[in-house]
Amino acid sequence: MTRLTKYSTDEGPGEYPRDRIFRPKSIAVMGVTPTPGTVPYDIFYNILSSGYTGVLYPVAPGRRSISSVRAYRYLTDIDDEVDLAVIVFPAAVCERALEMCGQKGVKGVIMISAGFREVGPAGAKREQRIRDVCRDFDISLVGPNCLGVINTDPEIRMNASFARKMPAEGRIAFLSQSGALCTAVLDYARAKQIGFSKFVSFGNKAGVTEIGLLDYLHKDDKTDVILLYLEELRDARGLIEEAKKISHGPNAKPILAIKAGRTPQGADAASSHTGSLAGEDAVCEAVFREAGIIRVDSIEKLFNTALLLTNQPMPAGDHLAIVTNAGGPGVMATDAAVGAGLQMARFTPETTDRLRAALPAAANVKNPVDVIGDARSDRYEAALEAVLADPDVHEALVILTPQSMTNIDEIARGVVRVNAGSDKPLACSFMGASDVQSGIEILQAAHVPHYILPEWACQAMADVQRIRRWRDTPLVPFEPLPVDRAAAGAVIDRSPSGYLQEDEALTVLAAYGLPTAPHRLCRSVKEAVAFADRLGYPAVLHVVSPQIIHKFEVKGVALNLADAEALAAAYEAMMANLAEVMPTAEIRGVLVLPMIPPGHEVILGAKRDPGFGPTLMFGLGGLFVEIFRDVTFGLAPIDAGTASRMVRGIRSIDLLRGARGMEAADLVGIELCLRQLGQLISDFKRIAELDINPLIAGPPERGCMVASARIRLE
Amino acid sequence: MDRQQIEQRVVKVVCRVLNVDPDMVRPESNFVFDLGAESTQSVALMAGFEQEFGIEMEQEAALAVDTVGGAAEFIEKVCREQGIEVDE
Repeated sequence: MTRLTKYSTDEGPGEYPRDRIFRPKSIAVMGVTPTPGTVPYDIFYNILSSGYTGVLYPVAPGRRSISSVRAYRYLTDIDDEVDLAVIVFPAAVCERALEMCGQKGVKGVIMISAGFREVGPAGAKREQRIRDVCRDFDISLVGPNCLGVINTDPEIRMNASFARKMPAEGRIAFLSQSGALCTAVLDYARAKQIGFSKFVSFGNKAGVTEIGLLDYLHKDDKTDVILLYLEELRDARGLIEEAKKISHGPNAKPILAIKAGRTPQGADAASSHTGSLAGEDAVCEAVFREAGIIRVDSIEKLFNTALLLTNQPMPAGDHLAIVTNAGGPGVMATDAAVGAGLQMARFTPETTDRLRAALPAAANVKNPVDVIGDARSDRYEAALEAVLADPDVHEALVILTPQSMTNIDEIARGVVRVNAGSDKPLACSFMGASDVQSGIEILQAAHVPHYILPEWACQAMADVQRIRRWRDTPLVPFEPLPVDRAAAGAVIDRSPSGYLQEDEALTVLAAYGLPTAPHRLCRSVKEAVAFADRLGYPAVLHVVSPQIIHKFEVKGVALNLADAEALAAAYEAMMANLAEVMPTAEIRGVLVLPMIPPGHEVILGAKRDPGFGPTLMFGLGGLFVEIFRDVTFGLAPIDAGTASRMVRGIRSIDLLRGARGMEAADLVGIELCLRQLGQLISDFKRIAELDINPLIAGPPERGCMVASARIRLE
Repeated sequence: MDRQQIEQRVVKVVCRVLNVDPDMVRPESNFVFDLGAESTQSVALMAGFEQEFGIEMEQEAALAVDTVGGAAEFIEKVCREQGIEVDE
């Protein structure tokens, strides 16, 4: 019952369609003008001056030539086949230009022009017409409202963008929804000597989305790492499915992302706990986690990690060794490493002996190894070789501070030599700026990652560890659970929009296998006592009324009623109180249930998010759930692996595992309930929100029980 | 007022401002797509029309006109509104 991905899978016979955009043999730039400094001219000039290896045609009505290149009035005046059209006309005539592309048989288009969805309703209509034309003519479209596309492959060398310069060739692909950010990133990368394989600003995503581009880059043998900047997620499920294939399994490529901006929010204020807690950023975090996408919060961190991924092998574990000539930075780096989740390696006696033999008596031979301030290249090399040979060391960090006797360049060359002979990754931090610059350049030329501060290196190494752990996590295929859909449908289909009565909600949950206690909706104290007598005591009363959502707040819940007398008294008191505090509420009855034995109170929730689709929530429950906010999210439906990650991902998981003499909760039972809930909200589109708060999670031998539930239908 | 005369004078202005040959210009010609007008030239066209016909045009409405024929129709309307007789 897994939903199929919605993104385009327009693979044509015999050719991967995105090649029309990335590897065109000919390009027509439509709407070129002869004025340098304008977007239409600069796009054309950039392709021309970047060394593009194909044929370039400027389409410039009214011009004989542009920069000495023969110009054409219309695309259809070009006799040859055109693989890619770059449209730089104003928005008002883009549809006409696109139709002409269709008539000419052009299958790849980059639409640079702005003036579409981003300017409001009129622009959105215009963009819809663009989509329609693309569909009619089977055109792959990047944009509109984008910076363009760059391919540094020497066989193509295409800068079809208005970025200032062509970046250097590299193994990193960058996809961005923001064109302005792209130019800043290009300039930053240039300063850091970082190159790219592909660089794409995809703008409004009217055609090709990040999902289609990820698919292309997965197959691209020039790309090792994919970086993504997103402002909205339109198809979260599609992104998860695609990204999982890329980041996990054969030919895995890491994906790192920055997510900024806001997705469209539901118009109504949420009335459920799930609704109030499931903010778009928290859900987005869950989407990325489920997809195996490493989320970072800055461009700096994005590239710090990418640098390590593209230039060094994947470590076999997370044990770090530090070699430094300064104690202070070594300790700070240790703090940063441990804080980022790395572990400090413990050297074997053989390594310690080897270090002792190579270093002066004053040196520290424990981790971090301090070769002390007067160290020159011989000590650095000996220490680094010794630690990298240690079986407990998985990766190393070299820190250098420039003392008067520090032969920086020689140390850099020594690090390069050792790195070349080792299969373990290492990074460097030559602290400073001016004196260490030549040493840094030696490292960079040899593809040894360098970071100005050791903490940045540690953060990058920690991100790489997240990737390694993700790859080592076995993925569990989704399997639908056996459920009684008809029984749940019988309740849902006959119910109007709004909240189901609690007894009806419990019926729906029971149909999907969630553990619910026997219960009855009673309309008199006599009926309630009779049912409780059969059920056994202690018992619980819940008022049922369409107007009463938060029962506790109006004393609409009575717990732990020990016998018939207590139950009758509680019933009467509840009715009297409600008559006073909510005189106009329609009381449909009182639900009688058994008192569930104490256990851990957890919350399970679901809501249908307009941007993300059906979303699940799990966390520590009870009255204070919105205060503690210790919750995790996932997109429904979920597999067993995701359910496990959600449950075990809350901060207070140790409480559920049994702490301070408390019993451990039935975690497997909770995970099953989450999966069942996910299947329920996926199967019934009318379910808008759903809270089970609390689910009482007893020990495994007793299991879980739904204590209270609310389901809102649309 | 003769629409054909107006159109001829519109074509004259268009050819001058956009530096195109008259045989490229048709009533249905889009200033941008068929005649290559840049954004700065749109303003120059408007100024040219005002000068040629002795009229004043409301900028937003004028710049929304995107074809030669549309310009002739628009100018005809403005001339009528402003009581301008179109001479040969």
